[in-house]
Amino acid sequence: MNLFREIWQSIVRRDPLSTDKGKSELVFLNVWLHIHPAKVKKENMKFRHSFYLGFITFFLFLILVTTGIVLMVYYRPFPPQAYQDMKDLEFVVFMGPFLRGMHRWAAHGMVVCVFLHMCRVFYTGSYKKPRQFNWVVGVFLFLLTLGLSFTGYLLPWDQLAYWAITVGSNIGSYAPLVGGQLREWLLGGHSVGEAALVRFYVLHVAVLPAAMILFTIVHFWRVRKDGGLSRPIWKLAPPKAAPLVTIGAPAASAAPLKASAASSTKTYGLMEVVTGKPIFETITPEEEEDTVFSYPYAFVREAVALMVTVTGIMMMSLFFHAPLEELANPAKTPNPAKAPWYFLGLQELVSHSAMLGGVVAPALMVLALLAIPYIDRNPSRRPSDRKWAIWLFTLFVVINLVLIVVGTFFRGPGWALVPPWVHVVGGAE
Amino acid sequence: MERRLQQTFFALSILALALIVAAAWQANTPSWKTFQHNYLQLEAQAEPNAITKAAVLATPPEIHQVMLTGLQRVDRCTTCHLGVEDPTMKDAPEPFRYHQGLGPHIPSKFGCTICHGGQGLATDTAGAHGNVEFWPNPLLAKDYIRASCGRCHKEGEVPGVPELTEGRHLFETQGCRGCHKLNGVGGSIGPDLTSEGANHRAPEWLEKHFLTPNAVSAGSAMPNFHFTKDQARALTYYMLSLTSEDMGSFYSSVRLIPGPVYGRQLFDEKNCIACHNIGGVGAKTGPDLLGVTGKHSPEWLDEQLVNPELVYPGSSMPVYDLDVNSRKALIAFLTTATAEDAQLILSKKTRSLTPADIAIEAGKQDFARFGCVGCHGTELQGGVPNPNAQGGEVPSLLHVSDDYTKDEVIAVIRNGRVPPMDNPAGAAPPLYMPAWKHVLSDEDINRIADYLWSKQQKKASADAW
Repeated sequence: MNLFREIWQSIVRRDPLSTDKGKSELVFLNVWLHIHPAKVKKENMKFRHSFYLGFITFFLFLILVTTGIVLMVYYRPFPPQAYQDMKDLEFVVFMGPFLRGMHRWAAHGMVVCVFLHMCRVFYTGSYKKPRQFNWVVGVFLFLLTLGLSFTGYLLPWDQLAYWAITVGSNIGSYAPLVGGQLREWLLGGHSVGEAALVRFYVLHVAVLPAAMILFTIVHFWRVRKDGGLSRPIWKLAPPKAAPLVTIGAPAASAAPLKASAASSTKTYGLMEVVTGKPIFETITPEEEEDTVFSYPYAFVREAVALMVTVTGIMMMSLFFHAPLEELANPAKTPNPAKAPWYFLGLQELVSHSAMLGGVVAPALMVLALLAIPYIDRNPSRRPSDRKWAIWLFTLFVVINLVLIVVGTFFRGPGWALVPPWVHVVGGAE
Repeated sequence: MERRLQQTFFALSILALALIVAAAWQANTPSWKTFQHNYLQLEAQAEPNAITKAAVLATPPEIHQVMLTGLQRVDRCTTCHLGVEDPTMKDAPEPFRYHQGLGPHIPSKFGCTICHGGQGLATDTAGAHGNVEFWPNPLLAKDYIRASCGRCHKEGEVPGVPELTEGRHLFETQGCRGCHKLNGVGGSIGPDLTSEGANHRAPEWLEKHFLTPNAVSAGSAMPNFHFTKDQARALTYYMLSLTSEDMGSFYSSVRLIPGPVYGRQLFDEKNCIACHNIGGVGAKTGPDLLGVTGKHSPEWLDEQLVNPELVYPGSSMPVYDLDVNSRKALIAFLTTATAEDAQLILSKKTRSLTPADIAIEAGKQDFARFGCVGCHGTELQGGVPNPNAQGGEVPSLLHVSDDYTKDEVIAVIRNGRVPPMDNPAGAAPPLYMPAWKHVLSDEDINRIADYLWSKQQKKASADAW
C-alpha cells in the first residue's frame, strides 16, 4: 500500500484539492494546466461574454491534429493513389468515413469559429491596450487557419479539390510582380499537379501546423500576460468613476519607482530586478470579490465546452459524410469552378475585377485587420463610446458574408447570377 | 449551477462514448458481411457432413480484392460476387452466380470492371454498381457490355462481337475523320474521339446521336448519315471501346485475336501462295495446304511455323519469325481455307495496274481514310446540309475543274476554307473545310487532287450537245 502511495505522490505532489493550497498547486505544479491562472474572475468566464469561441477553436484544432495524424497513416500524397486512398477510407478502413468526416467538419468549423472569435474580440473591444499585439497574433492564427484549410482542400485529389485549388491559386496570381511567382512556388509548376500535391501535403501536415502551434503558444501566453480574459463589457467601470484602487502598484500620480544602482557585490533575485507598474488591468474591490479558484470553476466550464465541441463534430460525422467527387481531371473543368467557400467572396470580387479581388481587397483586408488595434486610439471598450468602430467592422463582416453567400449559392455556369433554387440543366457539360 | 455543469459534462461524455460506439457499429455492419454470410450458408448446404459444414460457416468475413496493376484498378466485386469462378454456383441466386463463358478472362486476372464498368473499389451495392453521384462510370447495360472487348482487342475481329468490326469499318469508310480526330489524325470540326469511351457518356445517348445527331445535341454540326439501327449500335460499340487507357503489357498483348480473318491477311502478306497452293490453286513448290490441319496437330503445325528445318531437315521454307498469335491465326485460317480463298488471294496479286492507276487509287483511299467522304460523299456528290453556306449544303466535287485549277484546289486542301455565307449577317455555317497541311503530306494532297481530277464530269462538253 505504501508503495502505491509513494508512486502516487511521486506523480502528484500537490496538497489535497479540498484545500486552497491544493487548488492552486493543481494549476501551477502541472505543466499542462499552468497556462491557466490559479484564480479566475467569475464574470470573465461568463458564456455570454466570450461564447467560449477561443476555447472551441482550440478544441477543434486538437480534434484536427488527432484525426489528421490517423488519416496520415492511410494517405499517400501522389495523384492517382491519393484519390484511391480516399476511396479506401470510404469503403475499407474501419470507421474511415467517420474519421474523415470528423477532420472535414472540424476544419470547416475551425474557419467559422476563428472568424466568430475575432468578431467577439472586436465587439467587446478586447484588442485594446494592453492586448494590441495579441490581436495581431490572432490575425496570423486566422490566416494560418485559412492556409491549413486551403492546403488540406487539395489532398483528396478529386474534382472539387483540384478545381477549388486551381481557382484559389489563380486568385493569388493576380498580385503584381510577385503573384505569378508566388503561385509557381506554391504549386511547384504552372498548374496544379503532382508537385502541387506534395507541396500542399508538406505545408498541411508539417509547416503550417508547426507555425500554428508556435503562434498558439504565443497567443495563450499573451492572454495570461495581458491580464487574462478580458472584462465583460457589462462589468466595465462607468466612464467617470472614482479613481481606481490599484493593487500592487504605486498610484498613478506617484513618481515611478526608481531602480537603485545594482551593486556588484550582491546577488539579486528576480523580484528585485523587475520594477515598474504591472501590466495587469487595474483591479477594483468588486473584481477582487469576483475571483475564484480555477479549479473547479474554470475547468468544468472548459470541459463542457470541449465535450460540446467533440460530440457536435462526432454527430455531424455520423450523419453527414465528407464529400468526395470524381477523380481530378485537368481536362474537364466544372462550370462554374469554385474556390473553397471562404475564398468565394474574393472570387466574387475577382469576377468583377481581378485586380480588386485578387490584390487590393485581400491586401487591404489583412492590413486593416492587423492595424485595427493601432488605428483605433479610443481607449474605451464601452460600445456606446465606439459606435463608429462597431459600424465599420459590422459593415466589413456583412460585406464579406454577402459576397461569400452570393459566390456560394447564387453563381451558376459561367459565373452567371442564378438563384440556388433554379436547377441549371446541362450546365456542367 | 456548478453541479449542473458537472452533470452536463458527464452526460456529454457518455454521449461521446455512445457516438463512438454507434460509429463503430456502423463501420462493423457493412452489407457485404451479410452477403458473405448468406453465401457461406449456401456453400454449407452443399457440404455432406456436419464438420465441414461448421468449418465453412466459421470462415471469417473478409474483403476480397483483385489488384490489377496492369489495368490500374482494384476490383472488390468478388467480396459479394463470391461464386463467379465456381461452376457449382451455376444456378445460385445473384450475387453469387457463376459467370459462364468467360474463356480465358478469369476474374482473378481481369477483375470485373474492365468489361462491366462500375466502381471496383466500392464495397456497397449502390457504390459498386456506380449508381451514385460522382462516379461517372456505372455498370454498362447488358446490351453494351460486349463493346468492352474492344478496349484490349483493338484490331481485327472479336469472335461474337461483329459490332466492333462493323463500327470500326464504318468509322474509316464514312468519313468520320473529316471532322473528328482519332489517335491524332482527323479534322477539328467535331470533338476528338480518341478517348470518347472514357468520357462515360451513356451508351443510349451515343446511339441516339448516331441516329439523329440533333436529337440529343441541339445545334450539332454533325450531318445525319441516315445510319440504320444496327449501324448506330455498331458505332456506339466502337466509341465505347475507345478509352485510350494504358492496358498494361499483359492485356494489350492480344490486340488482335488470332482468328481466321487475321490468318488470311497474314497468308496474303507473307506471300505463302508463292510456294504453296490450296487445293491445287497456287504454286507447287511447297505442299498443298488443303486439309493440312486434318493431317497434323496444331502443335506440330506451330512448330513447323517456328522453325521448318526442325521438323523437316533441309526444308526450303524460310523462318518467318511469327509471334505466337500470328501462328495461331495462320493455323485458324488453314482450318477453313479452300481453293476459292487461294483464287481470291491470287487474283488480287495478279491484277495489273498502271502506276497512274495506283496513284489515283491511293488518292481515293486517302480521300476515304482522312474523312473527306464524311461531307463530300463517297461519290464526291456533296449534299450534306450546311445552314447559311452558299447553296445551303456542302458542294459537290464533281465539277471543281470548271472553276478551279488543280493548284488552287491543292491550296484549298492545304489551308482550309470557310464557305461564303448566304446571309453575311447570319451565324457562321457549322461546317467548314479544315486545313490539312499539318495532317497530310504534300504527296497525299497531290494524290487526292489527282483522284478528284480523274472523276471530273465535263459539264462544258455536255453543254455542247
